Amino acid sequence: MGLIQREIERQGTATLGISIVRRFSEEIKPPRTVFIKWPMGHPLGEPGNVRQQTTVLKKAIESLTAIKTPGTIIDLPYRWGRREDMGLE
Amino acid sequence: MGRFLNRFFARLNTRFPSLFDRAVKKPEVMTFTDVPWTPFTKPLNKARVALVTTAGVHLLGQTPFDMLDRDGDASYRELPSVTPLGDYTITHDYYDHTDAEKDINIVFPIERLMELKDAGFIGSVAEVNYGFMGHIDGSHVETLMKKTAPQVGASLKAKGVDAVILTPG
Repeated sequence: MGLIQREIERQGTATLGISIVRRFSEEIKPPRTVFIKWPMGHPLGEPGNVRQQTTVLKKAIESLTAIKTPGTIIDLPYRWGRREDMGLE
Repeated sequence: MGRFLNRFFARLNTRFPSLFDRAVKKPEVMTFTDVPWTPFTKPLNKARVALVTTAGVHLLGQTPFDMLDRDGDASYRELPSVTPLGDYTITHDYYDHTDAEKDINIVFPIERLMELKDAGFIGSVAEVNYGFMGHIDGSHVETLMKKTAPQVGASLKAKGVDAVILTPG
């Protein structure tokens, strides 16, 4: 994912990647990353959990403006299966 | 048999993430020091946003990603934003997409992005998003970096997209 992200950014569009493998983001150095320690196949969370998915996507989009230093990785504080981390029931 | 084993290990890795580091092939570790950078200056509520996913998402009518080539498939599929939800499918043997088949939004959050547009959080959603299959190795890495990824980048730029959110499988 990071390799594609780098090339899109190089062509002139700002990018942000949602990463679930921090090591890849550290090595490949995409321009902007939010890292979330969730299982493969679930970067936006659980099926049917609209509020959870929206929370992650909004954080990702907000990070487009928040990140000013190239290569920054923001660690999202949400644990898998712990809905209270997002203030959800 | 190869596809069966790939899917089997994909399920195992999803259930037991600690296995993941050992499972991921490390042929040549790609490490970069430079970081490409395009400043993002547009207000979010004016910005046109696109999705690019490496989760193997494509449309039912499109050619599936090549699962027989061990080095993967560096090609991409155009995913129009007007696509009915039931027309998306996933071809990717290297992660367990059982849950994503129930709800494509967990790897390709197109409905959530549309809702953020309706709420005025972003300006608009790009007319076309892009799907890749994230397992790419060997000579396909160069194809990806020199050909297909720059092509997608140029298309996004030409279509006036201001920002891209990328999601993995």
